[in-house]
Amino acid sequence: MKAVGARLPRYDGVAHVTGRTTFVDDVRVPGTLWVKALRSPAHNADIKRLDTSKAEAMEGVHAIITWQDVPLLEYGHLSALGIPADEPLLAKDEVRYKGQPIAVVAAEDETKAQLAVEAIELDLEEKPALFDVRKAFDSDAPVVHQWGNWYTHFEDEMDRRQIRKGSIQEAFDKADVIVQGVYRPAAIEHVPLETQVCQVVPEADGRLTIYSCTQALYFSMGVVAAHLQVPLNRLKFVGGTVGGGFGGKVDTATETMCSLLALKSGKPIKWRWTREEEFLCSSTRAPWHMEIADAVTKDGWILGRKMLTLHDSGAYSRFSPYGLTKHSFHHTGAYTIPNLEFDGYVVYTNRVPTTAMRGFGVTSVSFAVETHMNRIAKELGLDPFEIRLKNANRIGDTSPNGIVYTDPSTVPTILAVADELGHELPADYRTMSSEKREGELLPEHLVGQLGNPEDH
Amino acid sequence: MRLTVNGIERGIESAPLTPLLYVLREELGITSPKAGCQQGGCGACTVLVDGEARRACLLAVAAVDGAEITTVEGLGAPEALSAIQTAFHEHYAAQCGFCTSGMLIAAHAYLEHGGSGERESIQETLSGHVCRCTGYVKIIDAVAAAAGGEITSRQKWLPQTGEESPVEVPGAPA
Amino acid sequence: MAIHKGRGISAIEYPTGMNQNGDPSQAWIKMKPDGRVDVFSGTADIGNGSKTIQSQIVADTLGVPYDWVTYDNSNTDSSPVCTGTFASRATFVAGMAVKKAAENARTKLLEIAGKELEIDPADLEVADGEVVAKGAPQKKISVADVAVAATWTHGELITGTGAHLNPYAPIVDSETGRVELPPHAAISYAACAAEVEVDDETGNVRVTRLVQCFDVGTAINPTLVEGQIEGGAVQGLGLGVLENCYPYYPSVEHRGGQFGSYLAPGMEDLPQVDTIIIENPSAGGPYGAKGIGEMANNPQPPAIAAAVYDAIGVWVTELPITPERVLRALEAKAEPRREGKVVIFDEELSVNSVSNGGMRFEVPA
Repeated sequence: MKAVGARLPRYDGVAHVTGRTTFVDDVRVPGTLWVKALRSPAHNADIKRLDTSKAEAMEGVHAIITWQDVPLLEYGHLSALGIPADEPLLAKDEVRYKGQPIAVVAAEDETKAQLAVEAIELDLEEKPALFDVRKAFDSDAPVVHQWGNWYTHFEDEMDRRQIRKGSIQEAFDKADVIVQGVYRPAAIEHVPLETQVCQVVPEADGRLTIYSCTQALYFSMGVVAAHLQVPLNRLKFVGGTVGGGFGGKVDTATETMCSLLALKSGKPIKWRWTREEEFLCSSTRAPWHMEIADAVTKDGWILGRKMLTLHDSGAYSRFSPYGLTKHSFHHTGAYTIPNLEFDGYVVYTNRVPTTAMRGFGVTSVSFAVETHMNRIAKELGLDPFEIRLKNANRIGDTSPNGIVYTDPSTVPTILAVADELGHELPADYRTMSSEKREGELLPEHLVGQLGNPEDH
Repeated sequence: MRLTVNGIERGIESAPLTPLLYVLREELGITSPKAGCQQGGCGACTVLVDGEARRACLLAVAAVDGAEITTVEGLGAPEALSAIQTAFHEHYAAQCGFCTSGMLIAAHAYLEHGGSGERESIQETLSGHVCRCTGYVKIIDAVAAAAGGEITSRQKWLPQTGEESPVEVPGAPA
Repeated sequence: MAIHKGRGISAIEYPTGMNQNGDPSQAWIKMKPDGRVDVFSGTADIGNGSKTIQSQIVADTLGVPYDWVTYDNSNTDSSPVCTGTFASRATFVAGMAVKKAAENARTKLLEIAGKELEIDPADLEVADGEVVAKGAPQKKISVADVAVAATWTHGELITGTGAHLNPYAPIVDSETGRVELPPHAAISYAACAAEVEVDDETGNVRVTRLVQCFDVGTAINPTLVEGQIEGGAVQGLGLGVLENCYPYYPSVEHRGGQFGSYLAPGMEDLPQVDTIIIENPSAGGPYGAKGIGEMANNPQPPAIAAAVYDAIGVWVTELPITPERVLRALEAKAEPRREGKVVIFDEELSVNSVSNGGMRFEVPA
């Protein structure tokens, strides 16, 4: 009896349909304090004064933490990969987006915690805010970070992600037509049905048990340990059962602050974000700005592509440099294009930081290059299936950064969809496969592009 | 105040304006109804109040004093699933499982009220329930199956071996 | 007023595993004295079904029934490192970790079975809960009896650990972006067709059908992979026509803080969804699997945009394609600027129109 390939029932299926799956919010710990956050009401401002003393004196309030309570205030999501930290756990001198946490309160119930939040005294001096990535580079642009409005730490401290392949000039010289377009997919919310939620219990042996909805237990444990400056065995993450994530629960949004409140109060702590917080303050999928110019021949070969991407990162880097790099690696989509010039920037704006979401970095570029492909087909009067099948990656074709494709399926997936729709294709297209290019499928501009799939 | 919850009468001590969801979860420890939004917008907290599917987050407990409440715990236990629970399980209608309790209660009410199992009627009845994982495809399949309606989703699997799954698994859909 | 129908297509690819790799997963397995199997993995199940998938992989690799496998991903004290459930890595990378752990546990299992049967472990195989001598099926012992013998006769624990790490692929040239190692664990592929109906009076776009074909490598569990594709389809529909945190981007005003003001797809938005799974096995994944969880919401938006063009003859290249954008596009009926062999669409959106000179998009003459 084989399990692999079988339609076996979900491991957690019966638990789900009997309402018995235990999510973080279902954990019951007596004596738990509830958390509420003071969040920035401004998009971009200097913090002139922050005074929690009145709030601390309120009935039922057990602990309040601000930036001063965090052993390591800045720890980047990708610090371990050498990407510098730029975001404080709690705002210190400045706030850079509306909704940024400044202080968190633990009190006997949510109402008392919220009243204490409202009693914290905060004076801000607002500054002009930047929202349009296209204006970020202008000399009169509002300033998001002191060092500038875009990320500057790619390899060799470059301020952009670059891809260069072949000769873009030659491709554009040879082209019959050059098609240019601009593509702007929106920021969207992850909308997991389970909002961000965390329960932390200080144990008798001095450890913290952290019930977490993270998508990445060890990753989040590393983030908490770094901020707290403790070894990993001081922490026990409990989780693995998540009420939807879609990338938004890779951010460690609540665990560190709850841990600090648990240490400060000595009591169990729980923070469950409201749906408003989830919509307005949690990180989003990024909005992207992409411009493409393709050099094409009349019969539908794509000779070259020039592309500019401005990745709206929001106020901090988080995973954006990673996302942009991934984006750049896939900017030819499912096709082989021998001449490339790609420049991408991670641009800061005064909006909620963006983060990973399903398809991270590539959802955007798939929309751009595929819409562009459809435009090219329309402009040239070609069938959108045929132009794709022709340029589709085949075994031995190479990626933008020089990797040889070994098992592409662009041709069979397109043919399967055409078949399902009953879309008629000429015989030479209908019989195409992913085999190595030759004959008419190996035009002059692709000669010399082929690699040996054995190499990779 | 008193409520009959899943067949057991319970005295309620929460303040009269406490949302029913909070009473169920925090006072009675019944955790299948979820606090998905507490705005009445997602349906994850849906329970039966005297047989009608209602959003527990928007109901003050005083407004349902004396009512019979049914949550998923009251629909069926693991060894004795109700028809709709069985259909959800067999059709993989739950992925993360967070919307599932509310979805099940609404679907159960739909069946109890003689829902036809036609796709449009399922969509109309369950339209206020948000699921972010399944794309609703297998939820509609499950409800249709339980109501004796037609399965409208279409899937084709072309295995590399050219063979269908070699194993028939008890409880798995055909 | 009229309803216009249109159809558009797209084809995409997407990497499995973290970009540039370097993302480890580890697992360990132990066998109870009756042969039942405990798997400890750190992979969060976010609804994707990794508890099920990894249990299936262990069952076949260790040769025991699926319902003998207990899967524990509940905490970091008992489970080793898993980078996490993201980057379409839970089936492939974390699945390889449990597969290797199961292979190592199987080695131990066969070693004990060899002692019991007095046969060289290399001549034994295990399937369906029984260890059998190759070529001599009458010589066999159940896995349960091997576990008993390991515990009570030999004083041994049948256990195995496994870890999977595709090496980090550094960018070796910052100018060109070149890498020398594959920057992915595998690549998956998909194609999609969208059919829409566009109302030219209200501007509403209704997606009526999505036909999608995904190469999943190997479908470890075909129903779960369908679930990923179908769920992705509707998120892609949301991206295409409904969802937007900033309705007047780049402005931050008018954000929706409720389900009533943020348009996540509802049940009534669901089109006919036709899913086709093909299998082109990966070289390095468990039983040839590839990761497709994320890419499942990538092909729909461009197919929908093309379908809208097919229906009403205008391109909307800012997502989502809302009624307002459709009506504005119909009103503008913008034609691209044609200059020699250059065809320029969307000039008003370009940095060249909006930036004060700080950023330009220059195209070779």
